[in-house]
Amino acid sequence: MSNYFYVAPEQLIKDRAEFAQKGIARGRSIIAAIHDVGVVMVAENPSASLYKISEIYDRIAFAGVGKYNEFDRLREAGIRWADGTGYTYSREDVDARALANFYAQHLGDMFTEGQKPLEVEILVAQLGNKFRPTKLYRIAYEGTISDEEDFAVLGGDAETIKKRFADLERGHLPLDQTLKNAVSALAGPDRHLPVGDLEVGVLEDRGDRRTFERLDDGQIARLLE
Amino acid sequence: MGLPLFDAQSDPGPSFVRFAEMSGLMAPSTSSDLSAHATTVVAVRFDAGVVMVADRQATSYYVANRDVRKIEAADRYTALAISGSAARGLEFIRLAQLSFEHYEKMTDSSLSLEGKANYLSPLIQRNNLTSTLVVLPLLAGWDLAHQTGRVFEYDGAGGCYERQDFSVIGSGSPFAESTLRLGFRTDMSREDALALAALAIYEAADNDPSTGGPDFVRNIFPMMVTLTAEGFRELDQATAAATFRLINDRRAQSGGVAGGTLR
Repeated sequence: MSNYFYVAPEQLIKDRAEFAQKGIARGRSIIAAIHDVGVVMVAENPSASLYKISEIYDRIAFAGVGKYNEFDRLREAGIRWADGTGYTYSREDVDARALANFYAQHLGDMFTEGQKPLEVEILVAQLGNKFRPTKLYRIAYEGTISDEEDFAVLGGDAETIKKRFADLERGHLPLDQTLKNAVSALAGPDRHLPVGDLEVGVLEDRGDRRTFERLDDGQIARLLE
Repeated sequence: MGLPLFDAQSDPGPSFVRFAEMSGLMAPSTSSDLSAHATTVVAVRFDAGVVMVADRQATSYYVANRDVRKIEAADRYTALAISGSAARGLEFIRLAQLSFEHYEKMTDSSLSLEGKANYLSPLIQRNNLTSTLVVLPLLAGWDLAHQTGRVFEYDGAGGCYERQDFSVIGSGSPFAESTLRLGFRTDMSREDALALAALAIYEAADNDPSTGGPDFVRNIFPMMVTLTAEGFRELDQATAAATFRLINDRRAQSGGVAGGTLR
């Protein structure tokens, strides 16, 4: 015979939220910011092969913090969704907002119905063109989706980093300046982040169809000079 | 389409085709004899890569289209050319382009050139054994790992064969192949290879009614492409026009007789 204990829904939600927040807080943070001609995403990531920032489609990028296996699965689903949609309709029809909504629904479902909520926070960034605006959609572990104006911070220490970055950033600056600000906001006053611990992805128009570029250590070092 | 999430056992991996099949994105094959086809495409290896030249005409019972692009960049270093059903061929190119990019994004590394060539085999086999709309592609590219140009051709059942010299596909093959057999040398420069490949297309168009030659009236010329360490490059129309005008002028001087010093 088993006993079922009554748990108030408020308590259940609170417990689940705490569980997810704890998991996310263990990881390092990511800043994504709109610069003068594109979007730059900066992560603190000592691994040179397990990426947190990736290409989804021609003008869409993905960033995730928290449990690697969980957000990597979401990244793969995003690439499949984007390639499948572009194949079925047209490349122009692949829209970051639709993808962000799917992510939000999935995270929301997992939060309320899953065995455990996903311990991730993700970002879908879109580089604008004449049909679509440049956008940063942040999606939290419980499915809350927010349309961030100029920059977004993901991860445990988001509020502090957000404040530090907001103090430095004045409007849409050039890439090198935005990157410098992001790195100093991630590091904080007492730490120095070596180039090897940084992962940087950029969405920028260079005349190609695909706009995502992962910067290597040399490129990052030159921009930070 | 919803968010395509799979559990670890049923995950289609980085293959776009497998994913598309599992999700019902790919149309089932149907058969019909209404298709535009017939083509000549040649690929010739030279010391620093591969050149490709293709005619531009789509033919059914009549000329269906005069400016078809039968060679496309499958990715930065790979070109895919098609012969056979135009509908299936163009779809095939789209699927190959998407598959290579999909793999790259999913795994954060590009497929090797041989990997790309092998990936196409089952696609060709499935298409050709389930449909009368046969498609036969030709894959050529710059192999980044081995720093050389490589050419892969296929048979109707999807068998993939690497060629060391040159390859020809399409209805004008016998004439193009003969030209290449006589003219091919192992130490050709890019210019030699382009001139020879263009001549092969010229000869094919001369004898095969389903292969389009240079069209001086409409200013449409066969597509000329090079694959080198710089990647896929399509030659501009002026270069293609000049190349074919030269061949045509020589042929006019000889009174239409092929062969000899005026070839």
